[in-house]
Amino acid sequence: MFKLAGNRYPTAPLVSIFILSAAALAYEVLLIRLFSIIHWHHFAFMVISIALLGYGASGSFITIFRRRMLEHYDVVYIANTVLFGLSSIACFIAVQRLPFNALEILWDRSQWQRLFISYLLLTLPFFFVANAIALTLMRFHKKISLVYGVDLIGAGFGAILVMVLLQQFTPVTMVRVLAISGIAAGLFALLNLASANRKSIASLLFLCMLAVYMTPQKWLELRPSEYKGLTQTLQMKGTSLLYSHSSPVSQTDVVQSTFIPFRNAPGMSLQSKAETPEQLAVFRDGDEMTTIDHVTDRNALEYHDYMSSALPYHLHGSPQNLLILSAATGASILQADYHEVPQVDAVEPDEQLSLLITERFADYFGWNRQQSKVTIHTITPRGFAASENSYDLVVMGPSGASSGGSAGVHALSTSYDYTVEALQSYLKLLAPEGLLSITMWTSTPARGNLKLFTTAVEAMRNTGIGHPENNIAWIRSWNTATLILKKTALSPEEINSLREFSISRSFDLAWLPGIGPEDVNQFQLLQEPVFYLTARSVLEEHAKDAKASFVQQYKFDIRPTTDNRPYFNNYFRWSSFEEFLRMPGQVGISMTGVGYPTLLFTMVQASVAAVVLILLPLLLVRTGKDKAGKKIVAGKRKNIIIYFLSIGLAFLFIEIAFIQKFTLILSQPLYAVAVALCAFLIFSGLGSLYVQRCMESAEFSTIPVLLRRSVLLIAIIAILYIILLPMLSSKIMALPESLRIISAFIIAAPLAFVMGMPFPLGMATLQQNSPHLMPWAWGINGCASVLSAILAVLLAMEIGFNGIMLCAVILYLIAWSSNRM
Amino acid sequence: MAAALAIAIHPNSSLEFTCRRRHAIGMSVKHIYVLLLTPLLSITNAVAGADEYTLQRQQMISEIEGDVEITAKYLNKKSFDASVIQAIKAVPRHEFVPPDLRAEAYENRPLPIGHGQTISQPYIVALMTDMLQPEPGQTVLEVGTGSGYQAAVLSQLVAQVYSIEIIEPLAQATTRLLKQLGYNNIETRIADGYDGWPQHAPFDSIVVTAAISHIPPPLVKQLKNGGRMVIPVGTRFQTQYLTLVEKDMQGKVTTRQLLPVYFVPFTGGH
Repeated sequence: MFKLAGNRYPTAPLVSIFILSAAALAYEVLLIRLFSIIHWHHFAFMVISIALLGYGASGSFITIFRRRMLEHYDVVYIANTVLFGLSSIACFIAVQRLPFNALEILWDRSQWQRLFISYLLLTLPFFFVANAIALTLMRFHKKISLVYGVDLIGAGFGAILVMVLLQQFTPVTMVRVLAISGIAAGLFALLNLASANRKSIASLLFLCMLAVYMTPQKWLELRPSEYKGLTQTLQMKGTSLLYSHSSPVSQTDVVQSTFIPFRNAPGMSLQSKAETPEQLAVFRDGDEMTTIDHVTDRNALEYHDYMSSALPYHLHGSPQNLLILSAATGASILQADYHEVPQVDAVEPDEQLSLLITERFADYFGWNRQQSKVTIHTITPRGFAASENSYDLVVMGPSGASSGGSAGVHALSTSYDYTVEALQSYLKLLAPEGLLSITMWTSTPARGNLKLFTTAVEAMRNTGIGHPENNIAWIRSWNTATLILKKTALSPEEINSLREFSISRSFDLAWLPGIGPEDVNQFQLLQEPVFYLTARSVLEEHAKDAKASFVQQYKFDIRPTTDNRPYFNNYFRWSSFEEFLRMPGQVGISMTGVGYPTLLFTMVQASVAAVVLILLPLLLVRTGKDKAGKKIVAGKRKNIIIYFLSIGLAFLFIEIAFIQKFTLILSQPLYAVAVALCAFLIFSGLGSLYVQRCMESAEFSTIPVLLRRSVLLIAIIAILYIILLPMLSSKIMALPESLRIISAFIIAAPLAFVMGMPFPLGMATLQQNSPHLMPWAWGINGCASVLSAILAVLLAMEIGFNGIMLCAVILYLIAWSSNRM
Repeated sequence: MAAALAIAIHPNSSLEFTCRRRHAIGMSVKHIYVLLLTPLLSITNAVAGADEYTLQRQQMISEIEGDVEITAKYLNKKSFDASVIQAIKAVPRHEFVPPDLRAEAYENRPLPIGHGQTISQPYIVALMTDMLQPEPGQTVLEVGTGSGYQAAVLSQLVAQVYSIEIIEPLAQATTRLLKQLGYNNIETRIADGYDGWPQHAPFDSIVVTAAISHIPPPLVKQLKNGGRMVIPVGTRFQTQYLTLVEKDMQGKVTTRQLLPVYFVPFTGGH
């Protein structure tokens, strides 16, 4: 093979490291996108989390083969960059070809083998990147902080870059781009080399790039699961794909059907004589179908009056203005049009959906009819709710497809639209006699709607409504339920209208002032009238001042959701888990929903793998001696594990908590992820560069001092933020968008800057005392980062994001106490 | 040892070769024999004989009967109707699954059948059939033919089954299969199930296995007074719950959501 001038590197290949780190982070984001389209998001989360253990595996690998790899650093480094590039594309192609069916995993054992192979394949690219970076950290041990800083800054740019590029290019094109970038990183490293073989290596790298470029498009084409809504719809006679658009957050596909109408009318009354108009189906990530109605005249919209969501229009005589929270593809706009509301504000955070009805399919949707009275705002409901407007009606949902089909796949996603604070902000938007109406899909057993109810009652009480039982109405159809909230008591006329509306449409009453048990469960019979029982218990409970007995007795988590714990779609309760496990025929999984068990399972897998990866090198590495030839005592090893595990866990805990805080502040989840990742990685990188400066201008003895100070400082700043952020958030949310983004960067900067210090300082300490354990520490940190991302979600569901921050503080304090490595 | 070849004729349909050294026979030869003989065997429904699947089918029935206990409380019965169990016993489920999955045909689980569709878990098929309370002489409509297994089970219990499938290649293959297997009281068509099959309405009961956003009013209309409609809701590999639509003798319609297991949502019962 090639022999490079190993010891003639003038400087570390910093440009190469920058490109490699950027490409690796972008690849991680890209894989989540790709697997969300092919399979489902929760599954993507699991696979990519495990694949990231490639970082941990690299630590173990280098610990064992450190000496040989460092001897041939140059070749090994370039080889790993190229292998990253090639494996990133090859492994993706290979994984797509595995006949894996995520839905069948509980039934068919052979699916486990395929899942395991997927893990192994997807781990490879991350393994190669981690090798390249870890070896550079060791090879240039005097510049550890510099290399690590560039690694972080590169990753920060990668985060932004992938978001920008995914706006322009399809995810499949991006696979090629990133593979070529990885190989290009090898080329840049070559620039630092003084070797006779430079030309031949460069030619080889160009050949590899060409191979990636020439990879047949057909090999890369996405093969979504045949059980996704889009794939199944396209099998129907007369269907065709009209439009496809990919963004960093979702893929939108529009399908027309000329043979069989879609007839999407969520929960339409059996008494409806009206028919649905012609419709186009809209899929997001190949699932969750919504539709765009073909509107020719008002008569085509009559069916909208036979949904439970039409209730507020029948209670409020003549609403003059209306706010739609989450307009999606315009069903609520059309319902308002049918009821002749003269002025409508519609909020939709995903601009791609709004553009479908206002531009691309504007004629089909009849946007001309709407545009004089409807204004669409691209912002989250929470962002818009910070305004001072006042409305006769505020309506919301139902969003996406029926929960019956999605089976709890959203359990892991946070939503600030249905928290106590959110509902309080919506209530503030109501005119004195205004109504807030929220329609949601029902499920069996009932979960989401009950949680919405408990959340709404809490919000009303927080707003100062002493007797919410007089201000709430609740009805349900076959698969939707509509909840009405009013700031004042519902009038007898309104109650009469409500009864009339429900009975004429065969909808069931679940709550209204003066309701009795004989009024409920008339048309859509539930085994137990749980809607009514929930309402009665929650509303009466306050009067009796009893302690949340009903909510605690319910086998699903229906506690009110808050901004601190915004997992509205997670209903999992440990106390019911055993009962669900005992259910035969995999029924239990449909009870718990797939989201939470997937998360638990990911945690178990990652923990086992992490323990193996951390302990394996200890068993295989022969020497247990430090640089001075003294035997490393077990206590020191323990300290190394505790220190690097703590800072690895804590870093991600804080980063993830901030992504959540920023989601609220920035009113756009996409911005939140981009800004949080970018700010944390870049400022941490700068923090690491600062450490480099300090180390160059000071004695080694200052390292432990700096290390202790940095971890302590992080803990102090984090505690300050836990106290101050809620107050700051509400102020920042009212600012214009650009100022909100700048504020987010300013908030992240000081904390992130200090958070960039503990890792390089720890590594520098190891370099002085036990350099052969540096790759091991790198591996521990890699494993900790993976565990942290999973653990953060698990913990946040229980203790909220402030709890996560507090955990991070404790972890930094633990790191502080175990710094004697 | 010479390969000992045994030919087993199924009571209901096709031909299976079993071989102590299976691989000694080329697969292509096997396929040719099957192709040649299958049409002849479409008339062998009445032929009794050793059926390598009989035992498996019996085990499957035992499993189903065991599962009934978990629904017994709200079905208000300790077991499914004997005629339903008999119908499940009579239908060769292995004929309705892809050849490479025949070995798993009698496991109490759903199986993929291509086109993004599945053959339902036998227990769910039995449960839905029992919920329909089928009687001889009745007419049943099925929306979503799929593999044809549910229709085949129903055909054992009622006079006539009408079944509609939306995916053309699947509908064609299943229609061919049902004909081959001699299910003469099942009529299929490729159409949109939403509109039902007005020419043959009203129906005593209806099964809908397609994803729907609302209960189609035309189907309710085509249901006889006193009739029942069952709609399973969930993903392809997971029936989350069943909706039972009942139309009473006065024409009043109610729906009922039932889980495939008995479950009280409150701790310690209610």
